[in-house]
Amino acid sequence: MKEEAPVVISVKNLHKSFKLPTERAWGLKQAIFNRLKGIKGYTEQKVLDNISFDIHQNEFVGIVGRNGSGKSTLLKTLAKIYFPEKGSVDINGTLVPFIELGVGFNPELSGRENVYLNGALLGFSNKEMDTMYDEIVDFAELRPFMDQKLKNFSSGMQVRLAFSIAIRARGDILLLDEVLAVGDAEFQKKCTDYFAAIKGKQTVILVTHDMGNVERYCNRAILIEEGKVKLDGKPKEVTEAYKKLWG
Amino acid sequence: MAIPNFLYKNNRVLLKELTKTDFKLRYQGSVLGYLWALLRPLMMFAILYIVFAKLLRIGGDIPHYPVYLLVGTTFWSFFSECTNQGIQAMVTRGDLIRKICFPKYIVVVSATLTAVINVLINLVVIVIFALIDGVTPSWTWLLVPLLMFELYIFSLGIAFLLGAINVKYRDITSIWDVLMQALFYAVPIIYPISMVASTNITAAKIILLNPISQVIQDIRYSLVTKETITTWHFVGEENFIWKFIPIIIVIVMLVWGSWYFRKKSKKFAEEI
Repeated sequence: MKEEAPVVISVKNLHKSFKLPTERAWGLKQAIFNRLKGIKGYTEQKVLDNISFDIHQNEFVGIVGRNGSGKSTLLKTLAKIYFPEKGSVDINGTLVPFIELGVGFNPELSGRENVYLNGALLGFSNKEMDTMYDEIVDFAELRPFMDQKLKNFSSGMQVRLAFSIAIRARGDILLLDEVLAVGDAEFQKKCTDYFAAIKGKQTVILVTHDMGNVERYCNRAILIEEGKVKLDGKPKEVTEAYKKLWG
Repeated sequence: MAIPNFLYKNNRVLLKELTKTDFKLRYQGSVLGYLWALLRPLMMFAILYIVFAKLLRIGGDIPHYPVYLLVGTTFWSFFSECTNQGIQAMVTRGDLIRKICFPKYIVVVSATLTAVINVLINLVVIVIFALIDGVTPSWTWLLVPLLMFELYIFSLGIAFLLGAINVKYRDITSIWDVLMQALFYAVPIIYPISMVASTNITAAKIILLNPISQVIQDIRYSLVTKETITTWHFVGEENFIWKFIPIIIVIVMLVWGSWYFRKKSKKFAEEI
């Protein structure tokens, strides 16, 4: 059934490695010194090693794996923050990345200004933000506070606002790193209800360590280990494999 | 990294939002607020004026010397602010670059636009000062925006080039600091170029090949007094091509800077 849905993300033979400085190769002096001595000054570490998969429209995909397995690098490459070294990432539609909530939030600006700034950073025009603004504020339940400076918001209110932008921004594909629910118990319930409701209606890619969430929301899961796709299939199979590997 | 055309408008929106934020936050928490955009350069001018014009008695024979000096300090501040903010931009906005994908040049341009707003405010003050001091308005005043644009393009080229290097080698910040100190004395801001020309003509000619000197002298010529020595009149009597050296430097700087920035910008998110 899912095979009929169009492919929205196509990852082909993706490779990525990072140059990690060995002895602190930061700064001009060390760079010149290293070059003179013929030291490379870094070791190369493969983070993504020949990754390929297709994601279809309206799939809710969980990406799991241990710390340092390359999940976040993969997510950042999908978000085009990192460029693929080899291979390709093709994206069909607008992608709204939330590697972190509230990127670019400024405590000295008002809640309203922060929403528009955050929107502009995600690539939305002010007109587009105008149409989303009310929904964002209503979801966050922060209408009376929007003209106050963000620094006067409680930290719970700040993440609520950031989270509401994330899920109310009208993109075709939503990328989330570790965040599904924020705020107090009541707001968390609202978040989880929301994800249960959009399951199968929007394309979501979620990086997480919480196997419960994978089983609850995802209709597909990908297990990444040492930069390779170890398993790609039903959430239940993947979470069991994950638990078997690392108990 | 072709950017689809339809995103272009949204890039402008982002540029506007970032610039607005920068400008709004610049004087956050100060009592006088935006007024500092005016007061700071005026105070710097007052200090230089007292020291050089009143105590050392430099520039006595130049008509409208206070305005002449003010033009120099204002546009030097513009250049200095533009390059400093531009070079630092990628580092100060590191959190954004690591977490969101957007055209990186926007960060540099928005950082320099605050300086543009400041210099425009200061230009109004210069014009008022000039009128009070009895300078007669002339059609050459219309050339000033063009010259400012030239200086802006030059600063932007430098900001792109050095800003890109600064992502990896933060030494650039310190090197540029020192270089700016040296440049300040290599540009005829506080001393009249005629003073150098009277002792060493070659030195004066070299000074005038610097685009910053060329722009400042040209603005003084267009705005304050026709008794200003400009690159156009002073350099290249033997060979015409020398007159174009400053503008060639500016264009090369912009092309080189943006080419290098574009080339390196793919890796900024990893390296910052």
